[in-house]
Amino acid sequence: MVPVELFLALGAILFCIGLYGVLTRRHLVIVLVCIELMLNSVNINLIAFSSIGPFANITGQVFTLFVITLAAAEAAVGLAILIALYRNRESIDAIKQDLLRW
Amino acid sequence: MIELNTQLVFFLILAIIAIACAVMVIILKKISHRVLSMAFCFFAIAGLYFLLRAEFIGIIQIMVYVGALSILFIFGMMMTDHKSVGFGPERKKIHKVLSFIGVGTLLGFMLYGILGMNLQPSDEQFIGSAEAIGIQVYGHYVIALQAAGILLLAALIGAIVLARKEAE
Repeated sequence: MVPVELFLALGAILFCIGLYGVLTRRHLVIVLVCIELMLNSVNINLIAFSSIGPFANITGQVFTLFVITLAAAEAAVGLAILIALYRNRESIDAIKQDLLRW
Repeated sequence: MIELNTQLVFFLILAIIAIACAVMVIILKKISHRVLSMAFCFFAIAGLYFLLRAEFIGIIQIMVYVGALSILFIFGMMMTDHKSVGFGPERKKIHKVLSFIGVGTLLGFMLYGILGMNLQPSDEQFIGSAEAIGIQVYGHYVIALQAAGILLLAALIGAIVLARKEAE
C-alpha cells in the first residue's frame, strides 16, 4: 500500500503550483484554472485520509463531493463575471482590473 | 525503505503526470493548450482516486472536471477572444521572484511537516462504495446536501444574470 504521506506531499505540491499560478499569471481564465487546481489538491488529501488514513471512513469522500459542487458553482460564476468584465472593459488582463485599487 | 510494488509504481506514474500537467498549465504559451493540460491533470487525479479505491468519486471527477469544467473553460476562453485582447506591460520581475520565494517557503514547510509526520497506517484499505456515500449524504449530511442544492441554484441564476446582455 502507498503510504498516506506521499499523497499529502502530492497535494501540497499541486497546491503550491496552483498558488504560484494565481499569484503570477495575468490571464483571468488561467487564474480560475489554478484555483481549480488548488481545490483538487485539497480533494486528494481528503480522499487519501478517507481511504488509507489512520481512521479510514467514508466522511472524506462525502466532503469531496461537496467540494466538487462548490468548485463547479465557483467556476460557473467566475466565468460569468469574466464575460461581463470582457464586455464592459474589453480586457481580461488581471493587472488592468484596478478600479478598486487604492 | 518503501519496497516497490505495483501500487507505488502506478502512484508515481500518475503523480508525475499530474505534476507535469500542472506545471504546463503555468508555463505553456497558448491558452487552449493550458486548458487541455488542465484536463489531463484532472484525469490523472481521477486515476489517483481509483488507486485509492474511491471509484465513485473518481467517476464524478471525470464527469464534472474533465467533462464539464474543461468545456466551460474552453467556452470562456472562446468568448473572451484572447487574440484581440491587448495585454499591458509584463509584471515586474521582483513580483515573480517574491511569489516564487514565498510559495517555495510554504511548500518547504508543508513538506517538512508532512514527511516528518508519523502516521499510524491503517490495517487495510477502506473501500467507499456509492451506497455508503449515499447513506451518509442523505442521512447525516442531508442539510448540507440541501444547502449545496440552493448554492447550485444561486450559482445558476447568478451566472445567467451576470453573463446575459443588458436589456436594451
